[in-house]
Parts: sequence; structure tokens; C-alpha cells
Amino acid sequence: MVLYSFYIFDRHTECIYARRWTPRPTSDSSKAASARPQSGSSITSNGANNTTSNDAVAAPHARKPMSHSDDEKLIFGLVFSLRNLVTKLGGSDDTFLSYRTGEYKLHYYETPTRMKFVMLTDTKVINLRQYLHQIWANLYVEYVVKNPLAPTEHPGGIGVANELFERGLEAFITAVLPA
Amino acid sequence: MVVFALFVISKAGGLIYNREFHTGMSKLTSNDYLMLAGSFHGMHAITANISPVPPPPHPATATSTSSQTPTTFPVRATGLEVLESSHFRIQCFQTQTGIKFLLFTEPQQPNVDTMIKKIYELYADYVMKNPFYTVEMPIRCEKFDRGLDGFVKVRG
Repeated sequence: MVLYSFYIFDRHTECIYARRWTPRPTSDSSKAASARPQSGSSITSNGANNTTSNDAVAAPHARKPMSHSDDEKLIFGLVFSLRNLVTKLGGSDDTFLSYRTGEYKLHYYETPTRMKFVMLTDTKVINLRQYLHQIWANLYVEYVVKNPLAPTEHPGGIGVANELFERGLEAFITAVLPA
Repeated sequence: MVVFALFVISKAGGLIYNREFHTGMSKLTSNDYLMLAGSFHGMHAITANISPVPPPPHPATATSTSSQTPTTFPVRATGLEVLESSHFRIQCFQTQTGIKFLLFTEPQQPNVDTMIKKIYELYADYVMKNPFYTVEMPIRCEKFDRGLDGFVKVRG
């Protein structure tokens, strides 16, 4: 079993904790864009864009490789929309549990306070919802919510990634989800 | 075993076929279905994009080194294949041409893979071979409807 990443989102759409076990693969979308035949010559020939910098003309379609924060925003938007889709189709008591692609599987758990726990693993893993629930109940509530020094909200992730929580998460994952 | 519904989404994200076989999902207006299909199309693209691992190399290109073999389709991340919720399960099958088949079943439904391939066959036989069908347009083919009915009823 391979774990790729783990995210916690608060009710304000912000990612307050992110943990990654693998480096982000080099974005192949930018590579594919530069391998494609370029249409940049037509842009330069009309003279209007001559002032633009060289590399912008050379690769007009090459997107910037995505950063970690882009990933977090995409994942939040995705689980938010999937959750809405599921409640729309299955009724208000239906909950989104997980989805699987050919490459990875995403597990989802939402607390009653609208906090979202997301874990990305390889595809052969059973549903991790109960483990995400345990992470919330045994680690997050114990070490973050009950911490008198941590703020009530966590803008920018303040107060979440404390030592006890980090160590507890590490221990939980090595004990409960063996590789 | 219950199959709730089948959606077919065109490569542009439009809902071109929607059929309910069994009640159990919420009743929605056709506008809602169109919106859901469109947003699913977008979400499908995002799921392929946020993949933490590169897609596995194509078995044919990995083994053969000679340039005689015809080039295969480029290997892309597949995007969402199975979505599970507490009430149902969505199986998504995307063809090489970008058409998506969505099958809504019970969570414990076995062999949805083969079912969706069979539905793809029905689509190829009764929709694509229908001379009056224009691609990317809503599917109105009686034979396809009947074929699906027969197939799903036999299974159900």
C-alpha cells in the first residue's frame, strides 16, 4: 500500500494541513505543450507581440508547472463539487466516500463541522474513511482542538502542524496502514 | 442487483443520453442533469490532472523497440473511473474519442466493467451505425433504447 498525500481543509475552503510522501511528478502537460508544433511564429510575424519576452513567444501554450498550493486548491474544488454532485443525485443523506482513477484513489471524510479530510493512495486500498475518522477523533481533536494555545480557526494552517500531531499521525500511519 | 441510470456525455461535456432504469436516485429536472453532466466533465479532467504518479507506460511501447510497430495512443492519466458514495456507485468509462459512459449502480454491484463495455458495444452498433444519427447530438435511437432495456433487464 502506497500513500501519496494527506490534506485537511477547514470550513473556509483553506488547506490547513498538507502532508506529502512522494514528490510531485514533473508536470507532463508543460512537456507535451512544448513538444507540440508551435503556433508562435504566426504571433510574432504580425508585429503586435514583438515586445513580449522571448520565452513567452517561444512557448505560448506552455503552462507553468503546478505548485503544491495549486494542487490543494484543485483538490478542494474537486471534492467540494463531487460532494455536491453526490448529494444532488442521492439525496441529502448520501455521502461521498471515495473515487478511483487508473493511477490513484482519493478517500474523503467530512466532519459535522465541515472539515474535510482527504487522502490520496494507490488504487488497491480499501476505503479509508474510518481511518480518516480516527485521525480526526484521536489526533486532530486531541492535539489541535484541545491545545489551549492553538487558535480556534487556523488561517494558513497555524496551530495544526504541531509536534504532537505530526508525531501522532506518523505513528498512526505506520501502525494502522502498514506499507 | 440494481442499475439506476445511464448517462452518455459527449466529448464536449454535453449530456447526449440519459436513461433511468430503476427509481432510487433523486428526481431532477433535465436542466439539472445537463448541469451535472457538464460539471462531471470538468471534474473528470481535474482528476486526471492532480494524479500524484505519472501514468504507467504503455505495455506495447515498453516491450517493443523496433520502429516497425505502429504508434499506439499516447498514454494519458485516465481520470475518474469509479466513484463511491454511501447510496450508489458511479462507473465511468471514457472511450478513446472522449465520450464518457456513466453507469449508476448499487454500491455492491459486481462486473460493472463488463457491463459498461457491453453498453459501449450497443452504442457502436445501434447509434454509430445509424445513418440518421449526427455525432455530438442527443441520441434518439429506438434500437439502442430497446437493446439497453433488454440487456439491463436480463442482468437485473
